[in-house]
Amino acid sequence: MFGRKRDADRPDVEPQFVRIADAPPRCNTTVRGIVVGMRTQPGDGPVKLEITIEDPSGTAMVVWTGRRSIGGIGLGRRLLVHGVACPTARGAVFMNPAYTLLPAR
Amino acid sequence: MRIVIAGAGSVGRYMAAQLAGNGHDVLLVDNDAKAASRARADETISVMFGDACELDTLVRAKVSEADVVAAVTGDDEDNLVVSLLAKQEFGVPRVVARVNNPNNEWMFNETWGVDVSVSTPHLLTALVEEAVSVGSFVRILTFEAGRTQLSEVTLADGSPAIGRQIAELNLPRETTVVAIVRDGHVVRPSPELALRVGDEVLILIGAGGEDEVKRALISAKGS
Repeated sequence: MFGRKRDADRPDVEPQFVRIADAPPRCNTTVRGIVVGMRTQPGDGPVKLEITIEDPSGTAMVVWTGRRSIGGIGLGRRLLVHGVACPTARGAVFMNPAYTLLPAR
Repeated sequence: MRIVIAGAGSVGRYMAAQLAGNGHDVLLVDNDAKAASRARADETISVMFGDACELDTLVRAKVSEADVVAAVTGDDEDNLVVSLLAKQEFGVPRVVARVNNPNNEWMFNETWGVDVSVSTPHLLTALVEEAVSVGSFVRILTFEAGRTQLSEVTLADGSPAIGRQIAELNLPRETTVVAIVRDGHVVRPSPELALRVGDEVLILIGAGGEDEVKRALISAKGS
């Protein structure tokens, strides 16, 4: 649920992930990408943080509700996203997924 | 379509029977044994006993394969939890939720995983307003978290739209006249149709178009 977080990147564990384009719809999955876009809504709108992650196969959107920023998540950050990919008109969307921050390469 | 309905009260049972009758694969979930057994009396409906606010129940209900989840219990908190879980944990494409207390309506949006919310008190208010008001703007339904709305205006004498064709109204982009109800008959809104006093104009309005629509259909003096 909200704010769940996995251990920070541990070099001894090789994380399992799939390419964004291969993420099976509506299943629990892990993808890895770089944050290439961030969006939040100012004012009275629904409070949320939307980011776009990219890997060589494509992009996906990640939405966290109830917050406008998350420490450690910024443009250029590499991260693992663990959650359910929901197919939408705008492409795959992960809603409130767990995430793991990865060190820059 | 596969549809999971949370809440086997009169609303849920009615919906389940209707949707099953229309050939959909419907599963009704309720954690109240009495409500579940009442629903089971109708043999066309599949009923599952369990708490739809629990992940395990939703897994058993195969929500991951559902096209639509409808949260229609009499409890707004439950409806929000079901909606959030359906969207977040199962990626359900369309989540419909019932609003019981209109004061809670502001929460029924994408933050809680709700695609469409239906508030009976709000709907009743709109319909009452619609029945009594001529020349004023009545919002009947909102979709997409309030970005799109279906509205109705009954054209009063003095409306700037009287005698003009629909094509001449200069309605904003992302706005479409859905139908005209004239003397109790639904009239297809062709662009050449000229509007008359008493016409009920049903109009679908995209984000930000409301003011322009009001200018086109309602006299500046107001009603």
